[in-house]
Amino acid sequence: MIIQFNTRAPVYIQVVDYFKKKMALGELQAGEEMPSRRELATELKINPNTVQKAFKEMEEQQLITTERNRPSRVTTDEHVLKRIRTELVDEAVAVFVESIQELDVTMDELVDKIKRQYGEGNINDRSTGS
Amino acid sequence: MIEVLGVKKRYRKKQVIEEVSFTAQKGEITCLIGLNGTGKSTILKGIMGLTPFDQGTVLVDGKPIDLNRVAFVPDHSTFPIHFTIEQCEAFMRDFYPKFDPKLFARLVDEFKLFPEDKLNELSKGTLAKVNLALGIAQDPDYLLLDEPFSGIDVFSKEQIVELFSSDIMEDRGVLITTHEIEDIEYLVDKAVMLNRGRIVREFDVEDVRFIHGKSIVDVMREEYGA
Repeated sequence: MIIQFNTRAPVYIQVVDYFKKKMALGELQAGEEMPSRRELATELKINPNTVQKAFKEMEEQQLITTERNRPSRVTTDEHVLKRIRTELVDEAVAVFVESIQELDVTMDELVDKIKRQYGEGNINDRSTGS
Repeated sequence: MIEVLGVKKRYRKKQVIEEVSFTAQKGEITCLIGLNGTGKSTILKGIMGLTPFDQGTVLVDGKPIDLNRVAFVPDHSTFPIHFTIEQCEAFMRDFYPKFDPKLFARLVDEFKLFPEDKLNELSKGTLAKVNLALGIAQDPDYLLLDEPFSGIDVFSKEQIVELFSSDIMEDRGVLITTHEIEDIEYLVDKAVMLNRGRIVREFDVEDVRFIHGKSIVDVMREEYGA
């Protein structure tokens, strides 16, 4: 597991985002056991206190549940998992829209380009997948 | 908590430490940052009482320092260069009643050291690992490290960084000096910046990222100029 950290953003939030993405993509399934905090700190070469803070944040956002003296688990709440996906998509679109607005592209041109490039992407996905 | 309160130090005519106060918490990694020659090592040696401060107080959990609870890892070996790692260990066992041979064996194993190797046969990175192992095996509550990453190879750095995020360091307070923050940007809880013998900034690293969107290097650039 490798996260390319950004030095200007809180590391604990970057860790939370990393796990959100894994949950949204189903790489971490509902109810699945999370890695131990200690393992994670060593693997990512970050401060154990930062990992602790990331887990606390994930608990507060109800992404994971932790019972006393047990490993944390991904939530089984479908609503939460759906919400994560929506959140990630919204965030990515917001970043995209902000950068494209600077270029003053018309909506028609944009939609056309997206359709073409996105379509190509899908074809490539299929061809590598089979 | 280590409390450094209003310490001052003069070498001959030069006031090396004008006046310095800061704290380092247990269970956290505090980094004392400063360009070369700003008095970082002087502060560590002063805390340990190796070269006492002229003025000011150092308290460890509210009391004067107890050398069984605080270990110092210098940036050079303090043993004769023809010593083997084993001989260093034997010396430390005699000298420090709390020295933990099991912990030392584990560190030797994790760092892939060979106890029969002589110090003068080791690379700078390996020597740094030996020093670190000898310091940690004292099983201290607080560990003071002087420039542990200076001039060593990238893989030794990685091994040392991994150690700091492992259970071996759990609950210990670490005070580390460096002028190359990049190596430990993600390890540090708190940064204390020193300039011309004074503390110019003391901050929680994640807070500064969160509130100001700044990295430690950004803050260093502000303080020390480009």
